[in-house]
Amino acid sequence: MAADEDPEPGPLVRMFAVTGGRARPVGEAFDVIAVVTTIGMPYDQAGLSPEHLAALRLATRPITVADIGTRLRLPLNITRVLLGDLRREGLVSIDPPAATAGVLNERIYQEVLNGLRAL
Amino acid sequence: MDYARSDTLAIKILIAGGFGVGKTTMVSAVSEIQPLSTEELLSDRGARVDDTSGVEAKTTTTVALDFGRITLREGLWIYLFGTPGQDRFWFMWDELAIGALGAVVLADTRRLGDAFPAVDFFEQRRIPYMVAVNLFDGARRHDPAVIRRALAVPAHVPLVPCDARDRESAKEVLLTLVRHAREMSRVGAN
Ligand SMILES: Nc1nc2c(ncn2[C@@H]2O[C@H](COP(=O)(O)OP(=O)(O)O)[C@@H](O)[C@H]2O)c(=O)[nH]1
Ligand SMILES: [Mg+2]
Repeated sequence: MAADEDPEPGPLVRMFAVTGGRARPVGEAFDVIAVVTTIGMPYDQAGLSPEHLAALRLATRPITVADIGTRLRLPLNITRVLLGDLRREGLVSIDPPAATAGVLNERIYQEVLNGLRAL
Repeated sequence: MDYARSDTLAIKILIAGGFGVGKTTMVSAVSEIQPLSTEELLSDRGARVDDTSGVEAKTTTTVALDFGRITLREGLWIYLFGTPGQDRFWFMWDELAIGALGAVVLADTRRLGDAFPAVDFFEQRRIPYMVAVNLFDGARRHDPAVIRRALAVPAHVPLVPCDARDRESAKEVLLTLVRHAREMSRVGAN
């Protein structure tokens, strides 16, 4: 596509700029339902985007990666890049979700079935 | 969402299927939050897109992802992720599928072939899955046995009709999936 056909970058392109063009988070991979907790606040907020700071505020109470994305209206993989940055800076911890297939037991299955029926 | 408690549990369920099969519709029907439907930017597998000069159009692509949530009780949530099953996006599915309770493959009788890649994916990775046939108006009704054969879905895998727009119908699909996943875990434990 010629440049003059696309004068304004779309919202996605602007968001991609927030991540510095990165599609993958730094460091160890984490689940979309991993639990994020803010463990520190930056001395100098200048280096962080408004999106980084918003994520930090949301995670002052533990919250999943997917929920942060929803609250910030950001695509999940962009959310993950931001959270990877915050983890690298030592500002958040990212813990695996409690329920992985291995720990789903009879009691949990039954609870999920009961819960769904009661909706 | 209070993850401060130690007995909190987040459960992940995937909704797969071809374009226009009703994934967004189904997530919307059961989610308690306005589902977040995003265009995810992906870099092709292995390709690093950390060139700070900007977006490398050649190495990135987008894929739709729907996210919804159901609170079953304080401390127990189902997270729904809906995204197309398409060959070039499997690396994203690989990540989404980790730790998932199971998957619903949505199928449309007018384009059954679109469900093949997703069925293959979950078969190969031994992730509990089921097929939900979305009954669009005007689509000819098919014998479930014929659909099962056409998709080469094994007999133990549930295959049910549904209306993705209907909350009760979508709930019934999820119930079927959870029962099936429980069954699979029992078999696996023996
Ligand atoms: N008649 C009918 N239309 C449906 C049904 N499910 C979805 N649709 C419509 O089909 C179109 C595609 O559905 P959508 O959920 O966006 O598909 P997706 O691409 O898989 O997310 C939308 O216009 C829906 O309103 C259904 O069960 N019956
Ligand atoms: Mg959709």
